Amino acid sequence: MSVLGRVLLEVSIGVSIMIAVATAVVVGRQRLVVTLREFTDRLRDVAPTAAVLTVVLLFNGIARQVVPELSWIINQNVGFVNLNLTWVIYDLEGEFLVWLQSFANPTFTSYFSFIYIYGYIFLLVFPVVAYFALPNSRPLRELLAAYTLNYVLGLICYVVIIAYGPRNMMPELVQGLLFDTYPRYQYLTRQVNRNTNVFPSLHTSLSVTVALLAYRSRAVYPRWHPVAFTLAVSVVLSTMYLGIHWATDVVAGIVLAWLCVVLASRLVGRWSPVGYLRDHFRDRGWLGSRPPEP
Amino acid sequence: MTGPSTDRLDRRSLLAALGAGGLGATAGCVHRARNAVNRDGPEQLSLTITTVPADVDQVSIRIANDLQANLAAVGIEASIDPLSVEEFFRATLVNHDFDLFVGHHPGDDDPDFLYESLHSVFASEPGWQNPYGFTNMAFDTLLERQRRIGGEARRTTIGEILEALAAEQPFVPLCVPTEHRLLRTDRFEGWNDDLLASRLGYLGLEQVEGAEGPNDRLRALVTDARSTVNLNPLSAEYYDQSTYIDLLYDSLATADGDGFRPWLAESWEWEGRTVTVRLRPDLSFHDGESLTADDVAFTYRFLDDTTLGDEESIEAPAPRYQGQVTAVEEVIATDDRTVEIEVSTGREVGERALAVPILPEHVWRERAEEVEIAGISISQGTTEAVVTDNIPPVGSGPFAFVERTERESLELARFEDHFSLREDAGASGGDVEGEGDDDGENGNETPPTGAERRESGPTPAPTVAELGTRVEPSSPSTIESMGNGDGDVTVTPIEPHTIGDVEEREGLALRDTSSRAFYQVGFNVRNAPFGNPYFRRTVARLLDKAWIARDVFYGHADPVATPLPEGWEQHDGDDRNEEASDEWVPESLRWDGEDPEVPFFGEDGDLDAEAARAEFEEIGFQYNDQGDLLMGE
Repeated sequence: MSVLGRVLLEVSIGVSIMIAVATAVVVGRQRLVVTLREFTDRLRDVAPTAAVLTVVLLFNGIARQVVPELSWIINQNVGFVNLNLTWVIYDLEGEFLVWLQSFANPTFTSYFSFIYIYGYIFLLVFPVVAYFALPNSRPLRELLAAYTLNYVLGLICYVVIIAYGPRNMMPELVQGLLFDTYPRYQYLTRQVNRNTNVFPSLHTSLSVTVALLAYRSRAVYPRWHPVAFTLAVSVVLSTMYLGIHWATDVVAGIVLAWLCVVLASRLVGRWSPVGYLRDHFRDRGWLGSRPPEP
Repeated sequence: MTGPSTDRLDRRSLLAALGAGGLGATAGCVHRARNAVNRDGPEQLSLTITTVPADVDQVSIRIANDLQANLAAVGIEASIDPLSVEEFFRATLVNHDFDLFVGHHPGDDDPDFLYESLHSVFASEPGWQNPYGFTNMAFDTLLERQRRIGGEARRTTIGEILEALAAEQPFVPLCVPTEHRLLRTDRFEGWNDDLLASRLGYLGLEQVEGAEGPNDRLRALVTDARSTVNLNPLSAEYYDQSTYIDLLYDSLATADGDGFRPWLAESWEWEGRTVTVRLRPDLSFHDGESLTADDVAFTYRFLDDTTLGDEESIEAPAPRYQGQVTAVEEVIATDDRTVEIEVSTGREVGERALAVPILPEHVWRERAEEVEIAGISISQGTTEAVVTDNIPPVGSGPFAFVERTERESLELARFEDHFSLREDAGASGGDVEGEGDDDGENGNETPPTGAERRESGPTPAPTVAELGTRVEPSSPSTIESMGNGDGDVTVTPIEPHTIGDVEEREGLALRDTSSRAFYQVGFNVRNAPFGNPYFRRTVARLLDKAWIARDVFYGHADPVATPLPEGWEQHDGDDRNEEASDEWVPESLRWDGEDPEVPFFGEDGDLDAEAARAEFEEIGFQYNDQGDLLMGE
């Protein structure tokens, strides 16, 4: 098996265990029984939103391959665009990273490395399970819509902006951290990240998105909300501690998260991809003449 | 009493007088202000250091950081612009769009690379030739002179060039790194440590019987993904290190140790300035087309001008191999297997011209067209040849292209028709002594007319059926993969900061290659203030080469005062005189604890900013109240 395969297996087993435990503790048996009974109905409710997210993720996967070249073409050749921000950010906060690294110790390194890979994936996947277990599909649809927006807006930033992270500018500072200590994780991260794409931090924005939505759903999941909050803060800190993101990227990530949550709650329920298709194509007779849903 | 009229008149004249005077005064003011404003005042000098990020090379960015801090300490505002490796070469080599850069130079098999690196004729050409834009008549004379002569006289001239170079500092040579590679000795035998950067390092390997892992397959690991993206031998952006080009393409001769051994050529014979090269019989390219003397002649013509003399375009020399190609005056294919190459240089430099990759005419001829992309203006003289990714590459080399996955892997397979695999390969040699043998019997400065070079010893052949290359994310992951038994050799050297993490064990060896590559800080001499040699020298003195070698390279490098490594000896040198050393680097420029020409201001990496500032003032620069170094616009 390839190294990537081994790492993927390792991570999926780890995260699955975490999700199983969290489901037992947070969701509870009662909800699971009901969910199983209504499984297909609920799936039908969220299918359109999930489909949009899937399309965006697939497109994202392909686009990531060409984004760096596209960014360089734009930034080096279009005279008025110069969003190669590495130096601006480094000049602004290089000292902060040095200060942050002064707290470095092996315990923190292990903790934050674990959080950066396992904690982050768990934080993103678990709410999908938890919200699916709710009779009302709205929280899940909002979550998926917010993820979609994060990826779309993030990708646009990545095309326009070039920025290398701290580990690329101050390698001596972050030596012995994540990729030196656990180089195998790099097989995984390079599948999703290119090194010029650090502004904004998607680790931050997606984690904060989850935390904000967890706060909203605190009435139904009182146990999840503090866990999500703690994990999100840990993920945010880990990106900086491990030298992957600048504080600037993190701030931009938080703003992006807030924007996505606000937009998602406005869009969900008002605009649906199925409704859009129906409205557009029914008149032309492409979708047959099904009666409109109530 | 004054009448109303006079009163009015007086007031009018008064007003007039006032107006005129006022205007006059204002005009004077404006003139003065204009004179003052239009005198471009001095402003703080502000520079950008172009380099690559740590993912590409930790050493470069760390040197850039150090230089940036030291420039700031002497009142020069400097920023760092990290570019992806392709963009870095495009900015520095092709577009000359930089102030100063920190980077790696691949070095060369002969000091003649200084000719293309510094001769003024190349100052405006895109490519590896003279990226600095350096122009100096006295220098040009020396560079041309060393090409025409050989032996001790040439060594003396090279010494003079190195001394002039140390004085002028168009670039600052920093260190010569020791390249470390990991290889599996329990899977393959016959490793040639010193040749692992070139084709010979991957030929002639013997698989150990009963070894673990895949049979008849060499698994190479790289951290530089460029060989999976572009395999164009002409591309300046992709090939600062040409191991894979060497394996896919053949040249007439190949560098082996200090000399050249016949490769596609069966033998060659000098007569005056003409070398007659006899090709081996029945050569062919990977696509089955035969390789003839016409392809050889085409290659030299094409590298000289990739438009092939198209009158509607401007001349477009290839961005690489210009040193070799400009040594060649004319190439004539006299029959299918014979080419006569007339050189404008002496034989030492002339033989270097035999080391360019031979391109198939049937593939490259159509690439002489200029590039057209709808809606985008492309600079004149940009031919398809310099921008193509050349995939799949059609060469004649020991390995042929099979497939690649961009930024992940590259598959090559043994080229079964390669000349080195024939039974008679290498048998033709042995009867005539090569000139390059260091046996001391061949001490003439100019070998006798008609001296013939043939190979001695068997030609190394591609012994493994498959050469699979995988791109690793980083040096630490490469070490881990080698430890797990997932690779046989690291083609990209292990980065210095991770060498300490390597745990050698039975069957897994860490080998070092003394390389001729060096690290440099290059100045764009076209831009003020880098046109000023005093300024360049003073900036050079902000770099503590000894500290860089020790701290940034973790001791895996030697600080140097010249771009040629110490200990490199001229192979055709005058061996009769046992007393004299054959080293290229003159004694005056050898490292003796500090740089003999541009010693660091300070010690142990700590800059003595006061001393440096005093020197900048001494050479005519001024500081303002805030301590900023001023630069007239």
